[in-house]
Amino acid sequence: MATQIPVNEVHDQIAQVPRRLWLEVLHGCVTTVDHKKIGLMYIGYALIFLVIAGFEALLMRIQLAIPNNHFVSPEVFNGLFTMHGTTMVFFVGMPILFGFGNYLIPLMIGARDMAFPRLNAFSFWISAFAGFLLYFSYIGGSGLYGAGSAPDVGWFAYAPLTARVFSPGHSTDYWTLALLLTGIGSIGTALNIVATIICMRCPGMKMSRLPLLPWIYLVMSGLTFVAIGPLTAAQIMLMLDRYVGSHFFDTQAGGSAVLWMHFFWIFGHPEVYILVLPAFAFANEIIPVFSRKAIFGYPAMVAASVGIGFISLSVWAHHMFTVGLGPGGNTFFTLATMIISVPTGIKIFNWLATLWGGKIQFTASMMFAIGFLFQFLIAGLTGIMLSVAPFDWQLGNSYFVVAHFHYVLVGAILFMIFSAFYYWFPKMTGRMLSERLGKWHFWLFVIGFHLTFDLMHVPGLLGMPRRIYTYEADRGWMIWNLLVSSGAIIQTVATLLFVYNMVWSYFKGPIAGPDPWDAWTLEWSTPSPPPSYNFAEIPTVASRRPLWDLKHPEDPDFDYEIEQGSPQQTKKEGA
Amino acid sequence: MPVDHPHQEHGIQLPSPTAWPVVLALGIALVMSGMVTSGIVSVLGGALALAAMVGWFRQVLPHEAHEAVEVSTEETLISSARTVAARLPADATSRKIIPEETFRITTGIKGGIAGGIAMAVPAAIFSIIRYHSIWYAMNLLAAGGFVSWAGASDAFLSEFHLRGLLAAFVIHGLTSLLVGLLYGAMLPMFPKYPIVTAGIMVPLLFTGILHSAIGVVSPILNQRIEWFWFVVSQIAFGLVCGFVVNLQAKVRTSQFRALPFSVRAGLHSDLNERDYEEPIESKDEDITR
Repeated sequence: MATQIPVNEVHDQIAQVPRRLWLEVLHGCVTTVDHKKIGLMYIGYALIFLVIAGFEALLMRIQLAIPNNHFVSPEVFNGLFTMHGTTMVFFVGMPILFGFGNYLIPLMIGARDMAFPRLNAFSFWISAFAGFLLYFSYIGGSGLYGAGSAPDVGWFAYAPLTARVFSPGHSTDYWTLALLLTGIGSIGTALNIVATIICMRCPGMKMSRLPLLPWIYLVMSGLTFVAIGPLTAAQIMLMLDRYVGSHFFDTQAGGSAVLWMHFFWIFGHPEVYILVLPAFAFANEIIPVFSRKAIFGYPAMVAASVGIGFISLSVWAHHMFTVGLGPGGNTFFTLATMIISVPTGIKIFNWLATLWGGKIQFTASMMFAIGFLFQFLIAGLTGIMLSVAPFDWQLGNSYFVVAHFHYVLVGAILFMIFSAFYYWFPKMTGRMLSERLGKWHFWLFVIGFHLTFDLMHVPGLLGMPRRIYTYEADRGWMIWNLLVSSGAIIQTVATLLFVYNMVWSYFKGPIAGPDPWDAWTLEWSTPSPPPSYNFAEIPTVASRRPLWDLKHPEDPDFDYEIEQGSPQQTKKEGA
Repeated sequence: MPVDHPHQEHGIQLPSPTAWPVVLALGIALVMSGMVTSGIVSVLGGALALAAMVGWFRQVLPHEAHEAVEVSTEETLISSARTVAARLPADATSRKIIPEETFRITTGIKGGIAGGIAMAVPAAIFSIIRYHSIWYAMNLLAAGGFVSWAGASDAFLSEFHLRGLLAAFVIHGLTSLLVGLLYGAMLPMFPKYPIVTAGIMVPLLFTGILHSAIGVVSPILNQRIEWFWFVVSQIAFGLVCGFVVNLQAKVRTSQFRALPFSVRAGLHSDLNERDYEEPIESKDEDITR
């Protein structure tokens, strides 16, 4: 079925666009308020930090590969795990997901830009400067007049490690200030996403027709509002403790170290969902397209996302079972943590039901999405194990926990980010990524991932604590650590292959055309890459899959999305 | 072929590019950086931030600055590589058919409450027969949340404790509601004998899972649990919950609303047309791209 409709340019002009000078490109980046460019800048900046934080992880794995190793010093090791964690969460995970959101949301809802384009640019830049400030600590950690040092208090910076007596110099202050700055950017972007989705949907796009990606970004932005506040408050309290002499977290003077933990994890656990919800959003778009079926259970998916948003606000203290919360706290947080597996389970069942009976296309993007499904399930199961307080008492702060959350962050989130790259790269650049290299990337990464993170559970079960610098040879951990480190090297090779694929495809990849996947959401009705105005005519939609309706006027979706009292229902009853 | 957009003669109005957001961000970052470097850096940052705010306001007041972007459009061919697949034949009992009726959510809640009450009866009988106190089973359940009760004596667990009552009520109530909701959702999908499946098979399976996991979840319950009575109370829950759920009226799903009016009015069954049609040959649609 082919339909002639006036949309935008039909010819891909990417190959004909004259190359601009670097200075022009730089000027364009600095002054742009276009959501697509800002989205790409978010993604590019996050990828740079991904390489940096990945390199830090590799150094840590080399250090831990064999016992009694002194590849790096203990001080450097402390800095490495602090910077790795902080960078991955705040300067890789959040910006890359905000980047995709920035790029895709206006296109998916039929808008020409975000609600506040200038605020959008400001949010990006302040987050970017926060990342630079954090890494400036390597040369300025003790002030300009002394030797620099990176923060070394762990990504959650527990008190009293952050007190001036244990953390002299400015390394901890760099960490605090960088997080304060990036928090401003996160709030700004979340505000923009909410305003854009609420106010700028094209005609006909009711909330019940909103694609699931914007729906989930709406929930994620709500969580961002709630979660960033306590973190910012805690950072300011910490600054006051360190410089004004207050005692919020000083246990020697009536303060409470546990108070910091509460503040941090009230932010920290919703943060996990801030990161994983966009991964769900990508899966909601990608799995149906490559299954050639509409998503199964759209209303249940929306309800589950909103449910996850609410429940995730009541589980933070499961990070604190080993503190000794008391029976009431243990019971409540165990139950709350277990209950969050219900909406998450609904999502997994709905994705499986979408795959069921579909005509599955095993593209690189789909393969990463299927890997995500399997690995997220395993991550959820170990999460339920750790939600049981007595189990957590045994394995809290062990490598079992490290393996569990890396299963979420890498096995689920990073896999879906890779999937999203393979899916939307053609839209963003006008060129296809190499499928062959993509499949090499997938298989190498899957092997490396499972070698690393499956086996990482074992030293945890054998009692290996997290964050240790090295260990004795007689503990029985060596072979496991060696295998885990080998997996990290395989993952590095796979990631380098991905970077090569992106660079090569950007210049030499096949022309993508506007809709290479035969997809159904509005971004695929624009040329690749889309023009600055997105849509020459603001589209009008009548169902959740507007492009399907255009492609298949004989069998449009709106025939099946009849709501009580709608014109379609009246017409149908009349017929 | 270019397309005219008469209402867009002057192009599309988009926000003008501006450097003030990056200047403001740099200013604020420098103000912060000055706290760990030098006061001069903060002063410079403050000056930049102030200039940026003034510049930003001047760009948006009294009217937001826009630039006109030329639109160049042509007709594009939107096409699909969709393959029309043949519908597989299915009889009326096949589970491939999406249900047109299902239970309300409240049905699961009612079933959960009824099952929860029924489950408490064998537990109470066990408690009275074995320990001559109705409170023992309840305190045992509550002990899962109270670490200090791990070493408590039978006599202690046979006494009334308000904390125990409240904790047991919350744990039992929540679990019953959740399982009731699960029954409400799953019962229509069980094949042939839902009561046998829901009332006996599921409790037995659940007991098996719990038997292997209870040592981790609640060590105290593991030490003192009487598995025979546990199974009896589970089956009581399953039978009563399944029965109550089955008693409730079903509601129509969106699949039903999508049917033609004559079918929904009961004048005509479309089963013959929809589910017994002969398989047709697959055909590829026009793939023009």
